Amino acid sequence: MGERDKHPSRTAETDRTSSTSRRTFLKGIAGAGAAISLGSKVAWANGEIGFWAKDLTAEQLIHMYTTIQRIRWYERTMVDKMLTEPNYRGYNHFYAGQEAVATGVSAALKNTGGIMEADLVYSTHRPSGHAIAKGVDVRKMAAEYDFRATGLNKGYGGEMHIADKSVGFMGADGMIGPGPVIATGSAFAIRARGSKQVVVNYGGDGTYATPHFHSTLNNATLLKLPFIYVLENNLYHQYAHYSYSTPMKDIATAAKTYGISGVVVDGQDVFQVYNAAKEAVERARAGEGPTLIEAKTYRYYNHWGAPGAKPGELGAFGYDPLAITSFRPEREVRAWMARDPVDISRNALISWKVLDRAKADAIEAAAKKEMIEAFAWADKQPMAKPEDGLKNVFVEGTVPPRQFG
Amino acid sequence: MARKSFMYSVLEAVQYEMRQDKNMIWIFELTPPVASTPGKPVINLETEFGRKRVVNTGIDENWMAGCVLGAGLAGSKAVTYIPYQGNCMCFQMLQNHAGKLRSMTGGDAGMPVVFILEMTGQTPGFAGQHSDYEIDTYYAHIPGLKTVIPSNPTDAKGMMVSAIRDPNPVVFLWADALRTLIEDVPDEQFTTPLDKAAVRTTGSDITVVGSGGGMPEVLKATEQLQKAGMKVETIDLRSLKPMDTETLVKSVQKTKRLLTVDQSYYTLCPGAEVIARVAENVEGARYKRVAFPDAPPPASPEMFLWMRPNADHIVGAAKKLVG
Repeated sequence: MGERDKHPSRTAETDRTSSTSRRTFLKGIAGAGAAISLGSKVAWANGEIGFWAKDLTAEQLIHMYTTIQRIRWYERTMVDKMLTEPNYRGYNHFYAGQEAVATGVSAALKNTGGIMEADLVYSTHRPSGHAIAKGVDVRKMAAEYDFRATGLNKGYGGEMHIADKSVGFMGADGMIGPGPVIATGSAFAIRARGSKQVVVNYGGDGTYATPHFHSTLNNATLLKLPFIYVLENNLYHQYAHYSYSTPMKDIATAAKTYGISGVVVDGQDVFQVYNAAKEAVERARAGEGPTLIEAKTYRYYNHWGAPGAKPGELGAFGYDPLAITSFRPEREVRAWMARDPVDISRNALISWKVLDRAKADAIEAAAKKEMIEAFAWADKQPMAKPEDGLKNVFVEGTVPPRQFG
Repeated sequence: MARKSFMYSVLEAVQYEMRQDKNMIWIFELTPPVASTPGKPVINLETEFGRKRVVNTGIDENWMAGCVLGAGLAGSKAVTYIPYQGNCMCFQMLQNHAGKLRSMTGGDAGMPVVFILEMTGQTPGFAGQHSDYEIDTYYAHIPGLKTVIPSNPTDAKGMMVSAIRDPNPVVFLWADALRTLIEDVPDEQFTTPLDKAAVRTTGSDITVVGSGGGMPEVLKATEQLQKAGMKVETIDLRSLKPMDTETLVKSVQKTKRLLTVDQSYYTLCPGAEVIARVAENVEGARYKRVAFPDAPPPASPEMFLWMRPNADHIVGAAKKLVG
């Protein structure tokens, strides 16, 4: 708890601008007696303190903690597999360290009902946490990460392209730039058809530099789209510190330019993330437009794969040959690991008497077992058939082979 | 002469030119201009020339391409290294601006710039975006851009020198599959023409034409075919635009059989252009194309490696054509 208090989420100055428009909006619909959620400043004025986790049931809180553990052990199981099984073909851009972000966001979303009902999530090249938190089947995910025919996407996509629209997980994306623009297209469709869905786009600190970032926020603002940009600032895009990408320390400050709500949140604390996400989601559902949430977080592994990691140990340290000119100081990694999202959520739930130590341990053990079994299941799945590579180019038929002349 | 990689050879060429021309700039993201090789000094353009001339940008290929184009228009030589993840994000800058500006200004605009566009290493498991091989077709189509694709460290060095010294905008395609090639490359600065194909082996039975990242498999197949007694004339295109029609036509006039090999998709692959040019000039020849099917490369190694043209595919196609 104390750790968390040192890093409270804070609302960027920009909220002042948007709260004015929210008040105007509220005035407009007040007469209709509509029950709506409140943005942080208005809520504050009404006696709300913005700590929404106080309203969550024990079941919901335990689900959040369980999700964090499931993501953590998906990652740790896979790291160990990569390190100890030379023939294992899967790879990952590990999400470990950032679990509280995806978990806190998904806890505020509707995660069932397919693309016409669920809230939609657009992910990145670091998708496992986003996917698990959204409810994607981990066995099929593990099989996809090893390109199996029965994997989530039949072996066509691998880690960087997992997608499962049945839970509103619109997919990972290996590129930096286009994703959020596409996500606003989904938000536009939702607004046009009048459904109550919202769209969340995850992006990293590196996305700020792309033209797409600005196109996304500009159009989302102009059209008041039900859209939330969750920017996970883990300080590095690939191997470069985010100071190479943006002149701002807090990227959420960019929200000011667009006159929308911009929030900086402690991404290691799932409840702080949930608070911010819940407000953003309800703002979007009420037709009040987009939010930019910047979650300050950190990845425990290097950009890609497991260089610097050891079997059975959390985190990767030291020289990454791919980094060449810039790599992360070990002390920085360890300082962030001292504020671990697993520990923060666990300690909170124990102090709230939602869990006792034994129950918390049992949840972790179950998550670990589930993931070991998921990867073991994946190992037994069939490989893809070579000629199936000619399928799924168009909805119908196959394309001709051309490699034989 | 020393053993050098593709990266070392190119950076050596660039370093020399940047030392001569204090105005020349280099823009990169994610891929630092750093290379080393045993017995030679480490090259690091960023530390040697400083961050005023050598900049690590945020992820914005549109800006990177626009920046070197603008630098060129303002009279400075400029090179950018755009990694494969962004090699089409900058398309508009090249297609609608760099390629057309000289014409649209009646020859007024000068653009002594080089766009290094990295292509993926076609690594299995990476799926669509990270293992494709396609931009040779896209960029070679654009008028006003010279588009070259060296296939070994020596050509890479010589062609980089020529590209920097060329007053026209040059697209320098960098097939990442070639990053592991290491060979003896001269230390001194030399130029290699930007409009000449290289005849790698001479023969009278069949002409095999490839380029860039496909060349290692083409050369492997050539060796196998030669061992089996076939007289193979193997040509490395090196330049897609301008294309060295003369060398191609001369060869097929002799062999009367032309096999093109592309890692690019079948439709409109460079080989299609090669065959069209030869067919216009040679009577009575036979043709075949080996290319990647018109499908995005799937992640699964089983699917991808079956689809990606390799030496066995080339040998099989050559035998069908000659036999």
